[in-house]
Amino acid sequence: MSTLTDTTPAPSDEPADASAVVHANRVRLWEPMRPAALNLLALALFLVVWHVIALLVASPFLPGPWQIAQAFVRLAQYGDTQGTSLLTHAWASLARVLAGFAVGVVLGIPLGLLMGLYPGFYRATRSVIEPFRFIPPIAWIPLAIILFSGMTRYAFLIFLSAFFPVFTSTAVGVRRVEPLHRKVARVYGGGKLYVLTHVVIPTVLPDILGGMRVAMGAAWLTIVAAELAGGTNEGLGRMMVNYAELLKIAEIVVGMIIIGAIGFALNEILLLVEKRLFRWRWQVTL
Amino acid sequence: MALAGDAVSGNGSSAYKVDVDISHRYDALVVHDGVRFGVRENEFLCIGGPSGCGKTTLLDLLAGILKPSSGRVLVDGKPVDPKVQNISFVFQEPSTLPWLTVGGNIAMGLRIKGRPRDEVEAKVRDIIETVGLQGYEHFYPHQISGGMKQRVAIARAFATDADLILMDEPFVSLDQPTRARMQQEVLDIWQHRRRTVIFVTHNLEEAVFLADRVIMLSAKPARILGNIPVDLPRPRDPLSTEFTLLRARCAGLLDEAHARSFSTAAAVSAR
Repeated sequence: MSTLTDTTPAPSDEPADASAVVHANRVRLWEPMRPAALNLLALALFLVVWHVIALLVASPFLPGPWQIAQAFVRLAQYGDTQGTSLLTHAWASLARVLAGFAVGVVLGIPLGLLMGLYPGFYRATRSVIEPFRFIPPIAWIPLAIILFSGMTRYAFLIFLSAFFPVFTSTAVGVRRVEPLHRKVARVYGGGKLYVLTHVVIPTVLPDILGGMRVAMGAAWLTIVAAELAGGTNEGLGRMMVNYAELLKIAEIVVGMIIIGAIGFALNEILLLVEKRLFRWRWQVTL
Repeated sequence: MALAGDAVSGNGSSAYKVDVDISHRYDALVVHDGVRFGVRENEFLCIGGPSGCGKTTLLDLLAGILKPSSGRVLVDGKPVDPKVQNISFVFQEPSTLPWLTVGGNIAMGLRIKGRPRDEVEAKVRDIIETVGLQGYEHFYPHQISGGMKQRVAIARAFATDADLILMDEPFVSLDQPTRARMQQEVLDIWQHRRRTVIFVTHNLEEAVFLADRVIMLSAKPARILGNIPVDLPRPRDPLSTEFTLLRARCAGLLDEAHARSFSTAAAVSAR
């Protein structure tokens, strides 16, 4: 991620330096503005180049940004060929992703903690758990079509893609817990539960959040594939397949862009949560 | 003045706040061989010795997070257990928890003990003033210097009504001026709020400067080489004759032990 280097001057032992550090914190707030401006510029440049190329080629198979925008407005206002609005499609996909993602997180964190805290348990069950990691969620689609229907089918597939990133990063994070921090808690009278809730979890939380971001990306990958496989009338993937049969490229691209935009937005939200939660970690990552 | 071993004659009801009698081995390696001493309430005891005298293990035993293979550590006549007595510990390395603010770190011991919120706040405010960290309550450890982190750890140790405060060479990684200042500060805090302190150090000058009494340990298997009361008034002048003599006495014990073990080794290899 971007390098937010720590500009805080290492304060000496004199308490007079307090105001200097506060000032440095304020300066830091301006730093993210620059990349945002540069990003807007890059986006504008991309659109211009695309537009020019589309004008030069002038083919129905290469719609320009303007046609895409028109298709977007059409879809948003009047819906698709069956009158289903773009919002309905997007919400259908999002709800499936969020449901499966939630299950993946709720199961992935405690199991990851368990495996991390008891490496013996992990080593003993490794040969059962690990192979599942290498079955791509997409490879589960045929089975899911037979076994489940409706929301359950999609939630199951999303769960498969969200679980392992969360589970693995949690289990690995536990091994990063400083023995000294455990010892501090113990000598001050903290029991096992205290060490778990006040030492292990705060240490692992950044890894969990990182795993959740990876999981979110994987979830979007899966949802589109699952919806392409059929069995539903709603969802962005379904919408795209319908338009592919009609050879209407602009509408397909609208679907792609919306998938990208929602995925990007979710990632940014998680990043924001990370920055909020882990101010103490500023120097280390982000 | 009592000898190091005098404390353990009674059956739990000794005059000592802390009553130690341990022999500890790690597999075949004897770490402590009959280390017996007592610490009076509110006494500042320094334990010195060569590196490799098993000081880290000794501190773990004193803190009750490690059980000796034989013997015992009693605090107020009861076996030491950090969940029963109030034990504080200042580590050699910076031991502040990075996700807690300065205030949160200092409050940690009190929170583990489940003290009511307003008591925690009052005690933290009080100790923050004593150690001179006002204005830094909401800073995270990465925003403050190494000396300040150690000051936070000391504040955390004195914030609880500790029955026993253990210090493991807390100033060894600080530069000399900071170290000298922190030594004086620890004494000031200790004189303010009397507590029983066991302070382990390899630095004999530090030991004589701080302690009411210095116990010298030998290299492994650790035994008590000597028990030296320091009757000098505070503040102490490390350049005074009395100070230098006491320091030399401590150093002499180490040299003697070293010479003895050397001659034993020589005798063994000559055989």
